[in-house]
Formats: sequence, C-alpha cells, structure tokens
Amino acid sequence: MDSDEQDLYYGSGGDVVSEEEDGYYCNDGDAAGDDEPDRTTFTQETTYTILREEDVKKRAENDIAQVSTLLSVSRGLACHLLCRNNWCLNAVYDQWFADAERSDELPPHQESGEQLCGICFEPFEIEDMVSASCVHSFCAGCWKTYISFSINDGPGCLRLQCPEPKCRAVAGVDMVESMASVDEKQKYYGYLYRSYVECNRNRKWCPASGCEFAVEFKDAGGCESYDVTCDCYYKFCWNCIEESHRPVDCKTVEKWIKKNSSEAENTNWILAYTKPCPKCHRAIEKNQGCNHMTCRSPCKHQFCWVCLGPWEKHTSNSTCNTYRNQSSNINEESRERVKHFLARYTHYYERWDSNDKSKKRALTDLNQARNQHIDTLAQTQGENMAGVQFVIDAWTQIVECRRVLKWSYAYGYYHTSKEKPGKLDFFGYLQGEAEAALERLHYCAEKEMSKYLIADRPLEDFKDFKSKLLQLTAVTGNYFQNLVLALENDLSEVDDETSGTKN
Amino acid sequence: MQASRARLFKEYKEVQREKVADPDIQLVCDDSNIFKWTALIKGPSETPYDGGVFQLAFSVPEQYPLQPPQVRFLTKIFHPNVHFKTGEICLDILKNAWSPAWTLQSVCRAIIALMAHPEPDSPLNCDSGNLLRSGDIRGYQSMARMYTRLAAMPKKGELVFR
Ligand SMILES: [Zn+2]
Ligand SMILES: [Zn+2]
Ligand SMILES: [Zn+2]
Ligand SMILES: [Zn+2]
Ligand SMILES: [Zn+2]
Ligand SMILES: [Zn+2]
Repeated sequence: MDSDEQDLYYGSGGDVVSEEEDGYYCNDGDAAGDDEPDRTTFTQETTYTILREEDVKKRAENDIAQVSTLLSVSRGLACHLLCRNNWCLNAVYDQWFADAERSDELPPHQESGEQLCGICFEPFEIEDMVSASCVHSFCAGCWKTYISFSINDGPGCLRLQCPEPKCRAVAGVDMVESMASVDEKQKYYGYLYRSYVECNRNRKWCPASGCEFAVEFKDAGGCESYDVTCDCYYKFCWNCIEESHRPVDCKTVEKWIKKNSSEAENTNWILAYTKPCPKCHRAIEKNQGCNHMTCRSPCKHQFCWVCLGPWEKHTSNSTCNTYRNQSSNINEESRERVKHFLARYTHYYERWDSNDKSKKRALTDLNQARNQHIDTLAQTQGENMAGVQFVIDAWTQIVECRRVLKWSYAYGYYHTSKEKPGKLDFFGYLQGEAEAALERLHYCAEKEMSKYLIADRPLEDFKDFKSKLLQLTAVTGNYFQNLVLALENDLSEVDDETSGTKN
Repeated sequence: MQASRARLFKEYKEVQREKVADPDIQLVCDDSNIFKWTALIKGPSETPYDGGVFQLAFSVPEQYPLQPPQVRFLTKIFHPNVHFKTGEICLDILKNAWSPAWTLQSVCRAIIALMAHPEPDSPLNCDSGNLLRSGDIRGYQSMARMYTRLAAMPKKGELVFR
C-alpha cells in the first residue's frame, strides 16, 4: 500500500541488457557530449570517462535539452522523465511512446473570478493562482511552501507532483526555478546532478575519499578489466568499487576482506592462544613457552595450560599427564589444528598487509615526487620536465607493483596448497622474482635518489642514475606482467608438469 | 505554526458545515488544543464493520498540511492494515503519498474506503492479512464481525452518534 511506483517503467526495449537487483538497466548509447573531446581512456575492450563536476552538469543538461526538444515537452517534464527512467534516454523515449504520459500536459486553463486555494482554503483571483501542467490551481504562497518543504525534505523533491490527490502532473524544475529561493534552487540542482550519476548503472562516483569526480563506464561486453584510473590517480575496480586488485578477481577480494575483518578470525585467535582461567574465567593469553600460568591480579590463580588443573598438584615427578582426561585431549588437538590454519592465514595476511602499507607510503612518495621532487631535480640537474618524467614513472610502477604484490598474497591464500606442490613452488618462484626486482627498484627510487635531491649543482652521475632507474622500472614491469598473467591463468602452466620450478 | 493553525481553523469551520453532508463522519476538535482531533466513523455497509462506530485519534503536526496528521484507531478493529494493539494504520496517504490538499475530513473518507477494501499485501495485522491472502474470506469476515460487535457497537445508554 506504500508503493507509488506502479507507473515506473519496466519495459524491455531492444537496449535492455539485464534487469538486475537494482532495477532497470540499459546500455544507453547516449549522444550527449559527443561533440566535445572527452578524456577517454581505452583499456582493452573497455571505455570509461572521468567526469568532473562541470562535466556532470553539462551532460545532465544536454540530456534534459535533448529530451525536451525531441518530445516537445517542458524542461520540467523532461527532467522528471529522466529521473524516473534513471537517466536512460532510450527508456525515456520508449516509455513516452508507449505511455499516455503525453496527456498529462494540458494547456493552462483560463477563467476569471475567484477560486478557493485547495491548501489554505483562502479565496484568490484566478490569475493569482498557479498550476502545474494541469487544471488544479493553488495560491502562489502555498506552492512556495510546498516546494520549499519538499526540497528541504531530500532528493524526493525530484519527483514532486501537483498537490491534488491522484493528479500526476509534474511540478518540476520550471516551477522550482520560478518559486524557490536561491539556496533551495542550489539544493535542488545538487540532487538533480547527483541523481545523474547515482541513478544510472553506467555511472558511479570515484570511491576515493575526498574525490568528487564521477566515472562513466561503457562495458562493450565481455570486457576483461574493470580497472579505472580516476583523474585523482586513484585506481579502482568498476565492478566491486574496491581498490584495483589485479590479478585476483572480485570474488576473492570480497572473501579476503570479509575474512580479515570477521569476528570468526578473532574467535579463532582467542581459541588458539588464550584459555579461560579455570577459577575466574577471564581469557588468559599464553605468551611464553612455559605451561605454568598465573592469572592476572586480583585472581592470581596458578594453573597448568595443558590440563587446566591447579599448578600446585604438578609436583616435579607428576606431570600433568596424570590429570589429563580424554576430553581435554581432544580439545588440545583441535586447538593445534586451528593454530595451524591460523599460522597459514597469518603468513599471507602479514605480507598482504605489509605490502598494503608499503603501497600507501609509495603513493605518498609518488605525490611528493609529482608535486615537488621533479621540480627540484629539473632545476638542480638542468633537465626539462620531460627529462625528469622517469622519476614519476618509477614511482607509479612501484605503487602499481606493491598493489599487485599485495593481492598476490590473497591469491596465495586461496589458490595454493601443499596438495599441489608444483603450483605452490611456481607461485613462490614468480612472486619471489617479482618481489626482488621491486625491492631493487624501490630502494633505488627511495635511497639513491636522495643524493640528487639535496644537491645544489648538477651531478656528473645523474645520467647514470637516470638510466639505472629507467632500466629497473622496465625490468620490474616485466616481472610483474608475468606474475599477473600467470596468476590470471591460475598458474595453468604447471598443472600438467611434475616439477614446479621453471626458468 | 501560524499557517497550520489558520488551515485547521478553516477545516473546523468546514466541518461544521459539512456535518450534514457526510453523515458517516463526525470530526471533533479538542476543546483546548486545535492540534488534537477525534473522529467517529461508521463502518461501511456490506462489510463486517457495518453497524459499528469506530473512534479515530488525530494528532496534527506543526508542519501540517505539509506533513500528514498521525491517525490511529482508538476502537479495536480486526483489519489487515490496522495494528491490532496500537490501532496504527498503514495507509499510503498518511505516509509517502501525502499531499497538502488532503484534509482531516478526506483522510477519514480514505480510512472508510480502506475498511471496505483492505490491502492484505501490506499487513500490520498478520493474522488478518493471512486469512485474506489464503482466500479464507469467511474466516476474516467472522473475526472482523466479532470484534465489531465486541468493540464498536454502542452499548445501551451510550449515545455516541448524533
Ligand atoms: Zn493557498
Ligand atoms: Zn493537478
Ligand atoms: Zn577520484
Ligand atoms: Zn573488483
Ligand atoms: Zn583467574
Ligand atoms: Zn597440567
């Protein structure tokens, strides 16, 4: 009974690709903005465009103008139709020609004399009353408060209709333009342009914190990479909105992130490394090898880690085996098993985490190089901007490789095991080679660079340094490309080999 | 606040005039508070509520008529869209489909229409909703009629409707 959306469009035109969880999806071949050069990036079969605030505005207005011209309707109705059809032009047109919507816009109805306003019930001269594109008139004051209340109530104002119950006439942007205050108009347009990005399946905001750019993604079908690099330099996956995660897939990323934050891991940790004090039941962590445990004050109960029996019964010639019963034995076994799984997880997690931290530091270094270091180098070493670009390239490579390396550990956790030693070895080999190359590059960019940054005059060996860094960048890039390709093929090369190591 | 008062005052005057026009609704404003109203509505004929008189309580917000009034049944009623304990009503015009052109009087009319045409798919009273959804019309009707008789029939000496 709460649904007022029966009039929503769920038709299936030729352009409907799928209709998934959040409703209408269409592969909108929108013509807006085609006459201007886009900052368009081609990645394999995939095209995406980064939209700045003014681009979003321009494109939204383009769509509105196009609908308004093509259907000969007011700007207000055009906006309304676009919002209702998730800014998908084809859906707007399909609906328009399938629907009796056209009859909604009636010529304003002219009479003279007095009429009661249907909201405040005061009498007004007809010419002082206002109506949307229908015959229901209300006084200007009531319209103003009605519109203002709706705008301040949230983005629902984009679907504002005539106050008359059951009348579907649109009270759109035209009325807002003529009746709302400056602040309210700004708010209204804010919602309008936000809906342009948020309501269309082909557009999303860049997920980087503080970034206000949007991305329009055109999936030409069967595209292999969802990687998007925003103009803020943040690289993310269009599909899952996480940071870029080649060579692992979105599913693995989701699983891994869930695992890292899950309560269950915590519980396992506590299970493996703590036991409740048999007297006061607080969790006691075993941090030393000795099995003689002493609970924290005020309890200070002394007990044996293995059997949980009181320690004073453990005389030098009676071990706790005396006390050990069957059930605590089983308990100990499962504890060991949990510990083994945990150790494996910890191994991969620590390396994933440490590369994540390195990546974040490298990103800071990249920005510093971009904003500061290349200017310094260009000045002191007498190079032009193109001549110091190699520094940016090196840091960009480092960031990228740290990210790949980081995700390769999530791959390792899920896709390698002792049961397939060939695969495990090959994975270790590729990862090791790549990691070693990256360490050399990272060291060179970080440590060997500093000498040139503090120099106050051109240094003779700058050319050598430059060619070294260039070479390390290229070599590291190769190693990582091999790693990415191998992992994306799920290390299939070793599946039918007996020995895992190859050169 | 001023606008809502002025509007409620208009409605008050309108109600005085319309009393004759709509014999099924009797809207009364609280003597001391124009934001509190009660209504007595007659159960629509050819429904299990026929013959019953139901009391509604209105609480009008300061933002009225931009915001809808809060309405609930004070009389117990067995209806899929009315909460059996609290009397809360699930009706779109009292929520997202509200428009300032609705009045307390027209809300009463909408509630009478809801009594005649229950919406079992958005139930606040699951027992009642399930009976209707499973097609047990007779079961629903006899329960509703029983509660009408128990709670909504004026007892002897109690004159509720003029
Ligand atoms: Zn008015
Ligand atoms: Zn209208
Ligand atoms: Zn961004
Ligand atoms: Zn992803
Ligand atoms: Zn203790
Ligand atoms: Zn022991």
